[in-house]
Amino acid sequence: MRKKRLAGNILKNSLGWIIALVWILPIAGIFMTAIRPYSEVINGWWQFEEFNPTFSNFTGALFHESSPLLQGMINSLYIAFPATIIPLILATMAGYGIARYRFPFRKTFIITVVMTLALPQQMIAVPIFQIMSSLGLVDSFWGLILVHTAWGIPWTTFFMRNYFKTLPVTMEEAAKIDGASDSQIFFRVVLPNAFPAIASAAALQFTWVWSDFFLALILIYSPSKLLATQRIPLMRGQYQVDWGLLSAASITVMIVPIMIYILLQRYYVRGMVGWTIK
Amino acid sequence: MELRKAHIRNFVVFVLPALFLLAVFVLYPTFSTLFMSFVGPEGELTLQNYQSVFASGDIINFKNIQQGQFPFGTLVHNALWIAIHLPLTTFLGLFLAALLRDVKGGAIIKSVIFLGMVMPLVVGGIMIRFMFDGNIGIVNLFLKTFGFPTQTWTAYPETSLLALIFGSVWLWTGFSMIIYSAGLETIPKTYYEAAEIDGASKLRIFFSITIPMLKPITVVVVTMTLLWELKIFDIVYVATMGGPGGSSNVLALQMYLYGFRAWDFSKAAVVAVLITGLTIFAAIPLIRSAGEENVQ
Amino acid sequence: MKKLLLVVFIFAATIFMGQQITVIGPWSGAEKDAFTPVLEKFEEQTGIKVQYQIYRAEDLANLLPAQFSTKRTPGDVIFMWTSFMKSNPEHIVNLSDLIKPENFRPGALDNVTVDGEIIGIPYTGKVKPGFWYRKSFFEEHSLTEPETWDEFVALLEEISGIEGITAPIASGNGVGWPLSDVTEHFILTYGGAELQKDLIAGNVNWTGETAKKPMNKLASLLSEGYFGEPVEWTTVLEQWWQGQYGLYFMGQWLTGMVDDPSDLGVLALPGNEAVVFALDYAFIPKYSKNVDAAKQLIEFLAGPEGQTAQVEQGGHIASANGVSLDAYPPVDKEIAELLEGKATVNDLDDSIGGMWQATFWDQLKLLWVRPGRLDSVLESLQSNMP
Repeated sequence: MRKKRLAGNILKNSLGWIIALVWILPIAGIFMTAIRPYSEVINGWWQFEEFNPTFSNFTGALFHESSPLLQGMINSLYIAFPATIIPLILATMAGYGIARYRFPFRKTFIITVVMTLALPQQMIAVPIFQIMSSLGLVDSFWGLILVHTAWGIPWTTFFMRNYFKTLPVTMEEAAKIDGASDSQIFFRVVLPNAFPAIASAAALQFTWVWSDFFLALILIYSPSKLLATQRIPLMRGQYQVDWGLLSAASITVMIVPIMIYILLQRYYVRGMVGWTIK
Repeated sequence: MELRKAHIRNFVVFVLPALFLLAVFVLYPTFSTLFMSFVGPEGELTLQNYQSVFASGDIINFKNIQQGQFPFGTLVHNALWIAIHLPLTTFLGLFLAALLRDVKGGAIIKSVIFLGMVMPLVVGGIMIRFMFDGNIGIVNLFLKTFGFPTQTWTAYPETSLLALIFGSVWLWTGFSMIIYSAGLETIPKTYYEAAEIDGASKLRIFFSITIPMLKPITVVVVTMTLLWELKIFDIVYVATMGGPGGSSNVLALQMYLYGFRAWDFSKAAVVAVLITGLTIFAAIPLIRSAGEENVQ
Repeated sequence: MKKLLLVVFIFAATIFMGQQITVIGPWSGAEKDAFTPVLEKFEEQTGIKVQYQIYRAEDLANLLPAQFSTKRTPGDVIFMWTSFMKSNPEHIVNLSDLIKPENFRPGALDNVTVDGEIIGIPYTGKVKPGFWYRKSFFEEHSLTEPETWDEFVALLEEISGIEGITAPIASGNGVGWPLSDVTEHFILTYGGAELQKDLIAGNVNWTGETAKKPMNKLASLLSEGYFGEPVEWTTVLEQWWQGQYGLYFMGQWLTGMVDDPSDLGVLALPGNEAVVFALDYAFIPKYSKNVDAAKQLIEFLAGPEGQTAQVEQGGHIASANGVSLDAYPPVDKEIAELLEGKATVNDLDDSIGGMWQATFWDQLKLLWVRPGRLDSVLESLQSNMP
């Protein structure tokens, strides 16, 4: 019985690690292509006759003449921070509001919020473009931040509402008995306990905004304002680029969400799991 | 639980700002697009936009389907995507979640697999294009090792969509795996212990206890995956731009091409409405459970 | 006293503002550096300061309609696709009194003339002369330029047999224009300038006999495997230079991209008498704050003085008359001379523009790997014509 168990275990472990190795191959490949001069990998990055690791692809991508990735990263950060903080504030309050208070059409609101989770961005693209045109906000960062904020509110509201439903009301009721006002209850009692949910939502929203491509594509045009994600397809088709530069660019853009995942892994995963499993 | 009665003040402070933004930048545009799809060139209400879009063959190309050659039409392409990607990622995710539970260093392996979910999809598209390249792609390395002919998959009409679909399995499996992982943790150990005492085999336990208990999670995984497959855009834009000859085009990309290349907003609206109709349909379980929660 | 001061201030401000305009172009890096001396010359002459701003044409296609609808513009002189100009004449300043057709190469103004009114200027352009090869490569393998179609095919066959060759002709991938350039070369050789012009105007059907003739010839070569699989155009350039391919169809900007331009030779398809001369065009939007200064700049750019200054930098051919052949650097001089005997036409997909261009590129990528589907490709091209 024990032998069978042992064999089973070894099988499981080997299988697991083999899968891991195979799974990481594409990333390893792009990493190899990024750190070696393109001429070396032209017939496959697994060739190792010549191996001269270099940063030239990274500097080439970051400071590319026609579309410097560094500028794109800075632009993306400029968008991602406000587009995370603002919706988080608004949606946390709204989520709390729906979780705790009874007001007319509450159910409709919740259902609407969930429906918007299903909406594709394509459904709002054209009117948003028209609205932004008339507001003079086409090709402006704040226009994009505004749209991201609005788009992030439904899911964050739903997420925070689900979280608040798991918080026992007793503390809030106690505070109420002590004579605290509603906003005092919210800011002093509830918020501090909402930290895990807020961290999760923030991690996800930030990653989501950073990774966005479609909204940026329809709203941002000036070469100097292009976001990091927009510069990647440009490198693919438009400019004089090779796979070395493209790989380096891809890794650079990937690093930010990966860092967030590594540092905030617990919250990140809770974020993905938390609002889908009630 | 008891809900407190809301004062206007509560509503205004807590809910109104979010509601306002939602209404202006999400709800209004949604209905505007819906309306736009039914408006003709003179401003009259008409179905001609729908007619011309469906007749164009961009959505369903009956001729090509009969002849068995790509492109089959964007709707069919999305359907194919679902047919291949959904079962693969769901089963793989469950399998990996179960397997890696007891593996040493399983958490690291899970993180590696999850990386595909973390990267921006634009980069995902680059990775797929890279994987399937004729000269430097690893898929071709494997094929070559086993003696199969190699080519750049994304350059040929028969294989470009498939390349994208399989590549996207690599990207998305992490999602179902993570969700199932969490779900597996929620099954009480006592169930397993009881079953083992009764002498049930591991396999039997898996099928009789684990899977049924995971049903609600499965609904969620399937729903989210469906939504993702219907909305897919970034990957296709970067890897193939829908080509060659439209063989890897998808609904979302077609909408973009109508709206922002041909500048035909009415046709774009039609496609957008089509996608939305499908996604809302797919999200029915989610919507229902959200609604139910209030009956307490 | 206060009023006087205000008037002086406003006067000075307008003079100050009047002295600066913005020109928008798609060039960056080395190309932009080649444009700067032209602007500097203009500033010397007129004292008007010109600021250069870069925007790709695709981005302008999104941005300009939004700006124009609110009566604003990002620049005073804008370089853009003529298809865009033609569909937006109401936003563009009429230049008919400044620009006269007799001062330019024949046909140069076709794309910027709407209902007899001239709304844009042709600047300089690049020629797409034919298939480039390395002279050293040809010498090494005793190859010669073909005089007839059969000789051309024989040449391709011979190159196929050379060791290290992946395919005789390299195919460039990317957005799609490298494939469309070589396709247009076939159209021009076997249909003449007339066919190109008719296709642009929509007078001829893609599925008709006249259009099919050059396309069939192209498809026959594709079926024989004489063209390589499409590879990123800058990567395949490197591979072609290193001997993996014999011929590479490209525009004259190739001369600035290789280590040794003197090793370059170019051959056109036998019988070719017309080439694409891809001109850059510019216009003045009505919403410019300084139309007069913009007009001065546009006159300069359209005239022999400005264009001479540009071609002297190399890599450009002038559209205006009065630019002496000696102004060209040697490599470009050869091309300019080559141009003398041939008719020049506009780029096909740039002229039609819009979604058709994207479809054209996409369909050609399909044709390249599945030449058997020529008929359905031609049908798609025809049904997507605006």
